[in-house]
Amino acid sequence: MTTDPHPLGPAKDVEPLTEAPPAEVQRAQEERLLRAWKMPTGWRYWSAVNNTEVGLWYTVMTLFFLLFGGVLALLMRIQLAKPNNDFLSAELYNQVFTVHGSVMMFLFAIPIFEAIAVIFLPQMLGARDLPFPRLSAFGFWCFLLGGVFLCGSIFFDAAPRGGWFMYPPLTSTYQPGIGADIWLLGFSFIEVAAIAAAVEMIVGALKCRPPGMRINLIPLYAWYVLVAAAMILFAFPPLIAGSMLLEIERAFGWPFFDATRGGDPLLWQHLFWLFGHPEVYIIFLPSVALIAMIVPTFARRPIAGYSWIVLAAVGTGFLSFGLWVHHMFTTGLPGISLGLFSAASQAVAIPTGVQIFCFIATLAAGRVVRSVPMLFAFGSLVIFVLGGLTGVMVAVAPFNFQAHDSFFIVGHFHYVLIGGALFPIFAGCYYYFPLINGKKLSDRLGKIAFWLTFIGFNIAFLPMHLTGLRGMPRRVFTYPSGLGFDTLNLISTIGAFILAAGVAVIFWDLLRPKGKQPYSERNPWGAGTLEWLQEMPGKPWGVRSIPEIDSRYPLWDQSNFMRDYDEGRFYLPDAEEGERETIVTSVVDAQPEQCQRLPGPTFITLFAALATGGFFIFGTYHLWWLAFISLALAICVILYWLWTGTAIIPEKDEKEAGLGLKLPLYVSGSSSVGWWAMFITMLADLTAFVSLVFGYFFFWTIHTDFPPDPSPGPGIFWPAAALVLLLGAWALTIFARRWNKRDWAASTYAGLLFAAALAIGGGTALLAGPWVTGLDPASDVYPATVWILVLWTAAHVAVGLIMQLYCVARRLAGRMSARYDIDISNVALYWHFVAITVVITVAVIAGFPLVA
Amino acid sequence: MGQLAEKNQSLWLLTGSPVIWAGHFMLSYITASIWCAKLAGPDKSLWEVRVAILVYTALALAGIGFIGSIAYRKHSHGHAALPHDADTPEDRHRFLGFATLLLSGLSGVAVIYSALVVVFIGSCH
Amino acid sequence: MIASLSQARDFVALCDPLARRRADNARRLRTVRYPAWLIVLTTALLVPGCGGVQSALSPAGREAGRIADLFWWMTGGAIIVWLAVIGLTIYAARVQSEARNHRRDRFLIIGGGVLVPTVVLTVLLLYGLAPIPALLAPAPEGSLKIVVSGEQWWWRVRYLPPGGQPLEMANEIRLPVGEPVQFQLESPDVIHSFWIPSLAGKMDMIPGRVTYLALQPAKTGVYRGACAEYCGTSHAMMNFYVEVMEKEDFSRWLAQQAQPSQPPAETIAARGQELFLTNGCNACHTVRGTPARGVIGPDLTHVGSRLSIAAGTLPNEPDDFQRWIAHTTEVKPAVLMPAFYMLPPEDLRALATYLEGLK
Repeated sequence: MTTDPHPLGPAKDVEPLTEAPPAEVQRAQEERLLRAWKMPTGWRYWSAVNNTEVGLWYTVMTLFFLLFGGVLALLMRIQLAKPNNDFLSAELYNQVFTVHGSVMMFLFAIPIFEAIAVIFLPQMLGARDLPFPRLSAFGFWCFLLGGVFLCGSIFFDAAPRGGWFMYPPLTSTYQPGIGADIWLLGFSFIEVAAIAAAVEMIVGALKCRPPGMRINLIPLYAWYVLVAAAMILFAFPPLIAGSMLLEIERAFGWPFFDATRGGDPLLWQHLFWLFGHPEVYIIFLPSVALIAMIVPTFARRPIAGYSWIVLAAVGTGFLSFGLWVHHMFTTGLPGISLGLFSAASQAVAIPTGVQIFCFIATLAAGRVVRSVPMLFAFGSLVIFVLGGLTGVMVAVAPFNFQAHDSFFIVGHFHYVLIGGALFPIFAGCYYYFPLINGKKLSDRLGKIAFWLTFIGFNIAFLPMHLTGLRGMPRRVFTYPSGLGFDTLNLISTIGAFILAAGVAVIFWDLLRPKGKQPYSERNPWGAGTLEWLQEMPGKPWGVRSIPEIDSRYPLWDQSNFMRDYDEGRFYLPDAEEGERETIVTSVVDAQPEQCQRLPGPTFITLFAALATGGFFIFGTYHLWWLAFISLALAICVILYWLWTGTAIIPEKDEKEAGLGLKLPLYVSGSSSVGWWAMFITMLADLTAFVSLVFGYFFFWTIHTDFPPDPSPGPGIFWPAAALVLLLGAWALTIFARRWNKRDWAASTYAGLLFAAALAIGGGTALLAGPWVTGLDPASDVYPATVWILVLWTAAHVAVGLIMQLYCVARRLAGRMSARYDIDISNVALYWHFVAITVVITVAVIAGFPLVA
Repeated sequence: MGQLAEKNQSLWLLTGSPVIWAGHFMLSYITASIWCAKLAGPDKSLWEVRVAILVYTALALAGIGFIGSIAYRKHSHGHAALPHDADTPEDRHRFLGFATLLLSGLSGVAVIYSALVVVFIGSCH
Repeated sequence: MIASLSQARDFVALCDPLARRRADNARRLRTVRYPAWLIVLTTALLVPGCGGVQSALSPAGREAGRIADLFWWMTGGAIIVWLAVIGLTIYAARVQSEARNHRRDRFLIIGGGVLVPTVVLTVLLLYGLAPIPALLAPAPEGSLKIVVSGEQWWWRVRYLPPGGQPLEMANEIRLPVGEPVQFQLESPDVIHSFWIPSLAGKMDMIPGRVTYLALQPAKTGVYRGACAEYCGTSHAMMNFYVEVMEKEDFSRWLAQQAQPSQPPAETIAARGQELFLTNGCNACHTVRGTPARGVIGPDLTHVGSRLSIAAGTLPNEPDDFQRWIAHTTEVKPAVLMPAFYMLPPEDLRALATYLEGLK
């Protein structure tokens, strides 16, 4: 990502103020900061958007879902404790294991990374908040709605029961009833929340750093989270596309996965695992990032092999996208495909292992201090390495033929998930708890919890490797005696309860009243990174002043750092206009580029989530009118949110940010964070579209008559007409942006309105193609695929149309002008992606049948 | 100092070698899948695909090697040794070079692993 | 700066050499216990053994044998690597250093993190790729071919002996020892998976596709197979027995299976046959030699000769037959066969005796 040069010229090292401001000035600054960042009280508390509040809610909910999923697991273990048990019926057991897996993967493992990042990333980067606070809040409310929806279903015997990966045709044709729909639509929420989080993390890590924190100085947590967020952009969309196809098949009978009408169950498996494998690394990387922050602190020295860890994170991120077929080794694919994915699955062990050796080197080179976080970190290493080794074993395809879908795999993935994610999270809980409420958790309880969880976990899951190889398949509600499974299962059940006891101790430690406990001292562990600047208890302003950074461990290396920070000797020590502000910097060298104003509390995000939620929930129950009303309401709320809360024209052009720095308050174009957010979101959107196109070519690969010859539709004329009209709409939008910049008002309005008209015409022409040629999407997979591509494109054109009209309205209302043109800048960017989508859709549906 | 200025820097080069690996991997997989699904004869022989994959491998390794050499030059700019943790454009430049070099090494190994597959597997079964 | 009690303790320990040595010894003892008990636990688990009729670790077939060998080598290697890494970690945590030692850092990271894994993984890749062609190659031309269709929640089996007539049966497989056999696997409803752990790896049965599994049994005996892909409510009860026999015994068995059913000998059995034909059983089941020609459910021509009923769920005893017919959905939740609890007990007994006699 190349950026514009610093407005003041090449970077130079900046020193803090040589003298502290007088005490009254400092006090006045603090008062203004406190007022600007005040946490709302009473029922208004729920309108907060500050990362501290939103992050706390996220953490509390994900830990609740961890408990929920854990209780479901205990129920499963009770049922499996002895052969032919009748504690849970088959129907109920199948719901329980499905919801257990789904809750743990979607409602705990991913959201906890979001939660931790929302709270701590800004603090680690010396920023006051994330760049899009209301987007995080919206993501949280969506997540809460989806989670409650899914978990609630089990109390109504309406839970999904297709396994957490929901293979059709079982889930498309053989499980009528609301469960699968709840899974599909419930997870749409989670997916929205995840993409929102990804936008925050990428922009936060790259653009919202303290001045001087060059790319080689950023905390390792930021690297890991950046990689995980980028992975989300490319991993979640295939699942979004697949879920859409599955729901449409269930609701309308379009046969994407129905072999009797040309569909193929394997398409779901490809789309799901394209998501599913990177997903587990999205879970693992931010968790091991916690270890990367904890180990240097307790080894009392900087991390060894910083660049190697960057290699590990980025390398794992990329390689993990080449593994997905290793979940499909037994589906009859050609040996050469199996070999390729086996090779990549083994290659990924190299970067995974490198970071572990970096931690070992750091420990070896330091003087290790014992503590509860380190204990959990050790436990995590012991467990994760074992899981990684069994992972390499199952990556070897011939062994996979025996281990797949047996309890060996259940053992493997619990080792990597609990070792690679849960134990680091527990370590993080004990390490970072003082930053949440200013007090430490109990060392004694922590040690007890560690031993219970560590011993219980191993007793529960180590035997499963043997159970699986002795022939016990997974997802079985019971088993007969005499096969050698009995004792092993009983041991696993006992271990599970010991593990549960350990988790209960941790929860007790987290939740017990700490009123009488004194506050912890500041920076209790003697760490070196910025999040530990926080006072105990913390103040709502996030950071007292935004520091200038010279080192990877500023608290260790920069002299008088804490004093300078406290006395406001750095940037933005004040909130003169009473606004919430943070600094936006360049990507590579963190040179300040903008003073970003951030929004305060609002209920808009809650309303938007409820309205969006209404659309999904009413859709699940086939209450179509209510669903569309909700959708319309959601669009209105979101437009209101954008209108009142974004691209606000500031009262002045520039602001004094301290230390002689003057920063603009309004930046548009490719330096602005809003533009970045649009770009990142559209990358994810384009990936979902590409997944649908992949579906088209997948069917071409497996069928000899796809597209059928002669082609029944959509023909050439209508798609070509659509292409011309929509490219015209795109071109006019781009020109309108240019004309707006030259302040040619009439041309701008004319351009946008004509563009809107072309958009309507083009969208209609696109829909006309399959409509006029009579393609019936429920009859066969070819028409269904054409229709889905056309509908996706048309929906995006419709959104683009709303955006064009929005720009007209903004300019009319004086909220957009030649100088202040964030709105049309971002809309033009959106239309670039629409243009790409249109070209690909037309090329595929009209062009490909000619050459196939 | 000109070549070290921020406007000449980019994080995209860091991703160059892994992207080449990804391209090589996808091309190999797609070539093999489409061949086996549509073009292989009854004996299901794969030697055309094996040749194609070896060509892709040569191209990929050349690309990765090229990026790796640029990275090495960045990394050995000036005189400082690892770790590149000073707050200077030189160290940032060296760090980016080193990380890119490491990623090139990993990508090269991963490409070779994929190529080894075609050494062993010669039919579509 | 000493900021907490534990830090103070550590600080004192560092200053006093005797205390440090004592602390080191205590730590050493404690740290040795971490991997030690894990090894003890693992060994304890192996005491029950690895055998069993459904065990991949007591292979009775050529393919399962190859995979088991691969498994043991990999497990040995994995244990060594795990011990080395954990041992190194514990050692690293105990070592107290003052100066940064870049050479040691590089040695650990490059040697341990890059070179050793790359070499080991390359070797493993080659070792792991090598068996793939043999495991996936079809059985030679002229081998016994068996088509198995997985249906919720039973197995439709059709033997296609070379140069012989196709032979329809259900829920059980018998094979001649030492001969290659080609399975052709299908499914009309949902995805199932065909898995006989003692003989070979598994292969999924996917609607709309045909998959293949070739294997060669090496030891006579009775083994058990299972459905290994979650396929609905009673996935856990979709299993089957596999008997591997000497070639002559197998030929005799196959010839016997090709015969139509014998007319019932005793009156009870005859009554049972009459009930079978009048209560609608013939709508779903086939019994060759009678008018019953239903194809929705399993072929019952020689059901009395099988080692189990209801797809590996119940033993083949008259009481079990009765229980099954009367309470299908209690034995196998959501099964498509209706429960005939409304029939009087004597009728159920007659049906059971009849079916038992279909040997």
